[in-house]
Amino acid sequence: MLRQFGSRALLGGALVLAVAPTRAADIAAGKEKAEMCVGCHGENGISQMENIPSLAGQLDQFVQWQLVFFRAGARKNEQMQPIVEQLNNEDIRNLGAYFASLTPPKGPKDDDPDLSAKGKQAAAGRRCASCHTDTYVGTKAVARLAGQREEYLVKALHDYKSGVRSGGAQAVMADVAYPLSEEEITALAHYLAHL
Amino acid sequence: MKSMFNRSVLANRSILAFAAIALLAGTTFASAQQADKNRPLKKYESGTKEFWTHPPDDWFLGDETEAQKGLAPPSGPPTGASDAELAAMMKKIKLPPGFKIEVYASNVLAARQMAWGDKGTLFVGSFGLGNVYAIKDNNGKKEVKTILKGLNMPTGLTFKDGALYVIAVDKLIKYDNAEANLDNLGQGKVVYDDMPSYAAHGWKYITVDKDGWFYLPFGPPFNVGIPPTSVSQIRRVDPKTGNAEIWALGVRNSVGGDIDPRTGKYWFTENARDWISDDLPSDKLNMISKIGEHFGYPYCHQGNLPDDKFAMGHKCSEFTPPVFNLGAHVAPLGMKFYTGNQFPAEYKNSILIAEHGSWNRHKYQGGRIVRITAGPDGKNAKQEIFASGWIEGDQGYLGRPNDILLDKDGSILVADDWAGAIYRISYSKK
Repeated sequence: MLRQFGSRALLGGALVLAVAPTRAADIAAGKEKAEMCVGCHGENGISQMENIPSLAGQLDQFVQWQLVFFRAGARKNEQMQPIVEQLNNEDIRNLGAYFASLTPPKGPKDDDPDLSAKGKQAAAGRRCASCHTDTYVGTKAVARLAGQREEYLVKALHDYKSGVRSGGAQAVMADVAYPLSEEEITALAHYLAHL
Repeated sequence: MKSMFNRSVLANRSILAFAAIALLAGTTFASAQQADKNRPLKKYESGTKEFWTHPPDDWFLGDETEAQKGLAPPSGPPTGASDAELAAMMKKIKLPPGFKIEVYASNVLAARQMAWGDKGTLFVGSFGLGNVYAIKDNNGKKEVKTILKGLNMPTGLTFKDGALYVIAVDKLIKYDNAEANLDNLGQGKVVYDDMPSYAAHGWKYITVDKDGWFYLPFGPPFNVGIPPTSVSQIRRVDPKTGNAEIWALGVRNSVGGDIDPRTGKYWFTENARDWISDDLPSDKLNMISKIGEHFGYPYCHQGNLPDDKFAMGHKCSEFTPPVFNLGAHVAPLGMKFYTGNQFPAEYKNSILIAEHGSWNRHKYQGGRIVRITAGPDGKNAKQEIFASGWIEGDQGYLGRPNDILLDKDGSILVADDWAGAIYRISYSKK
């Protein structure tokens, strides 16, 4: 048993080594570039500002996609637009790698477990875990939700529901959020923010 | 008994700790696999009307089976491949002797259908990004300019009489005098919009025939089921008047076609249904001989395989068979008859098909360019692999070819929406 897991860890290491030279994202350069993000997204990617998401521990590919969407105008935001227009592809790769390398925010102590239980139930009913994974830490191009700011999660779900934001190529989130009730949105956000 | 139980709990814990380390050291891939194991299999009723009036968010997973569980469309690198990655990739692509591949342009993110302007501008559509690009040659350096933004999956485009036409799911938009106005194309004019707005299989491809009418494919908004009557068809549309006719029926997801220079007939590629198995059914190359032909979907696949659920008493012999079965899950998209003079003589009028490659298969296939030779009647079709090497391992992509365009000198251009690049393949006799 032990050897099996040991070899998997080794294999993981080898994968990282094999990928690193071609991907060549530069975390240090990403950190430098990210200085312009600190004002809103906070020190070390932990947002202290209302309606602004934390980016620490967010998935590399997810961060990159959002920057590419902002730059292309597929995702619209007045604050982000002028900033992202300055970024080249290399900047975007480095920023993705940098934010993914930071320690993710830890959800605060749950002050309303009943609401969380409702949120958990809503998440199961809407199959959130089939993309965001069972622990809601995300995978590949799918966002980490665990520990995100509660009011930002509410905002994001509203943006998807109203069609302000459509998400990725398959517009999956717009379809998911469309039938959500206000009650469900409140409960989902509370549950995910406190994971 | 009790102590044993305790011990095994402890043992389990240390295994969990090891697993966590393994996951940290590895990639998110392992955790995704773990999640896949834990979630129950989805059940879909893809034959109901509700399924297509509001397709489920994960509609492309329709009819998931135990055997194919956990397979899902992979997401490419958001910023495409870097120039260094592209250079390394070019060395891995295999071609017949005498052929050469090189990068024509990079940073063409999500590049899909290509078309030439009269003055040498290369126009390129894109997938979810919503961009349309113009690529111009500036002393040998290719300049990629984003000329349209925020369109709804503008995968298909063409150029005719000075105008750029873009198809964005339910709108065919015309931009007049496009090459003179690359800096500001304006809003354009919608010349045809009698199309459903489904995102699911709603992205399209444009082929222009000798009369200047456009062939447009309409995919069903799901994997398999009884399609809405406005889709699963190919229409022929006159962009001047907006007149349209339904040219073929029973077509699943087609995102590529071309006019046979020998006969003027429309040939097209078609992606077959998913979730039967790794090796069934085959994707197809078809030819339309006369208006109104039915190509079998959803009743019959690959010309000889009645659908388990949706055949509903139909026999395969009722439908037009494919010219050629290209293989399961190879995902044939853009295609062109080779009409140039640069390639060896036997390439004349053979068909080059860009295969986007699998997602609903344990070991990916496709992700290459194949060459089909067939008679003008569609008989005696033969296939050979023309360009390959974009698949790495069982489920990895370096790139995904999806369209082909001839250049004036007889070389071909290839669009790749995974690496965000355009390649040129040329031939010289040594």
